Amino acid sequence: MLLEDHIRKNKRNTVLICTFMALLFLGVVFAFGYIFFGNIYIALIFGLPIALVYIAITYSFSVKTVLSAAKARPANHHVREEKLLIYKVEEMAIAAGLPTPKVYIQDSDNINAFATGKKPEESVICTTTGALKKLKPDELEGVMGHEMSHIQNHDILIATVTLAVVGSIALISEILFYSLFWGGAGRGRKSEGNAILLVLAILLVILAPIFSRLTYLAISRKREYLADANGSRLTRNPEGLAKALGKIKLDIPKGKPKGSKTVAPLYIANPFKRQTLNSIWSTHPPIDERIRRLRSM
Amino acid sequence: MLLWIGIIVILVVVIFLLVFWGYYNRIIRLENRIDNSWAQIDVQLRRRAELIPNLMETVKGYMKHEKEVLENVTKARSAIMTAKTPQKNIEADNMLTGALKSLFAVAENYPDLKANQNFLNLQDELTHTEDKISYSRQHYNDSVLAFNNTIETFPGIIFAKRMGKKEREMLQIPEATRELPKVKF
Repeated sequence: MLLEDHIRKNKRNTVLICTFMALLFLGVVFAFGYIFFGNIYIALIFGLPIALVYIAITYSFSVKTVLSAAKARPANHHVREEKLLIYKVEEMAIAAGLPTPKVYIQDSDNINAFATGKKPEESVICTTTGALKKLKPDELEGVMGHEMSHIQNHDILIATVTLAVVGSIALISEILFYSLFWGGAGRGRKSEGNAILLVLAILLVILAPIFSRLTYLAISRKREYLADANGSRLTRNPEGLAKALGKIKLDIPKGKPKGSKTVAPLYIANPFKRQTLNSIWSTHPPIDERIRRLRSM
Repeated sequence: MLLWIGIIVILVVVIFLLVFWGYYNRIIRLENRIDNSWAQIDVQLRRRAELIPNLMETVKGYMKHEKEVLENVTKARSAIMTAKTPQKNIEADNMLTGALKSLFAVAENYPDLKANQNFLNLQDELTHTEDKISYSRQHYNDSVLAFNNTIETFPGIIFAKRMGKKEREMLQIPEATRELPKVKF
């Protein structure tokens, strides 16, 4: 498959999965309305504002939270390794036709990197000191290309919004669950007839948090493949990233990783555990499969 | 009946106008991107040319016997400063890349020079600028490809003709400079 085909396929998959997620969200909101008021449309008045505010808040705090959770510091221009990293990021920004992101460093022996930022104009790329020490220039370039494509594809926006939707689905389900438990639901319902529909609504509310979580993870994995493909188009050298991933695979995380688990999908490889198996519960695709795809480009 | 025909005609016109609007903006945007990425190459080329006198100043004391190497660099630099067209500019830049490569290769024989902090910094920055030039060239060609694809495929081709837009040319790397520069010791 050509690079362009990889990119197109991954984009289409993301659209499909995002649509599924939106439908799931609407379903939960409607179920909420049905159980509480016997009218599915009333819930829209409550459900949508809750979700929008939730998304706006998570989004506006995202960059600062991520950087402080990772305990990152700005790269130092006077240290040669870090200067060369800044140079690499500038080069990738030129290749992508984007403004240069700010470069941050996380002091850690593990090889990893992540990108964050609300829009390409205010983005940040952060790398661990371990990556600077252990990766060769072409491998580091591959990793930077991968991060630059996350910025170019607005993956940070997608990750924050989808995570916020997962959060609001969980929130609504929880409210419903407790109110059902305390017997508060059903007050507004006028007809008692449709028991099957009520059961279905409750079932949806229970299952939706799990499904939304899985959908979110699926999106996260698709975006990783897309960033791999797109990053290789920037560097014109898929082998560099493939070699870097090979090193990351053998580089087993030592000690307790810094940062919170919510930012795991932003990293080039999950900092908390290395996945070799294809699991629906993982944030990243298995490294071997990523390397295989990169080598087939 | 007449009413229906009227509605359909208006709908068709509106759809056509909307599509034209979209394509008009897209073509202009893609064209601006090409011009912008050319400006980017130009900035990098100039930056590199500005670094050369500094490099010469640093190297001069150490490399007294490498006149030819130094002259080649100076010659290539002045070619960049006087180049008028993008293609000429790229050719001059390739000359400079070659000349610098031999200079850095020769520098390997001068341990004192290699230990000089100033020289190391200049070498890093020149390599960086060179990489930036090749990436901006790549971005320029990517932008040209996106533009050409839009104005040569249907339905873009209809609007492009109306707007008088023509296919742009990609930057070619001159044949001669693809070989590695020869270094005599």
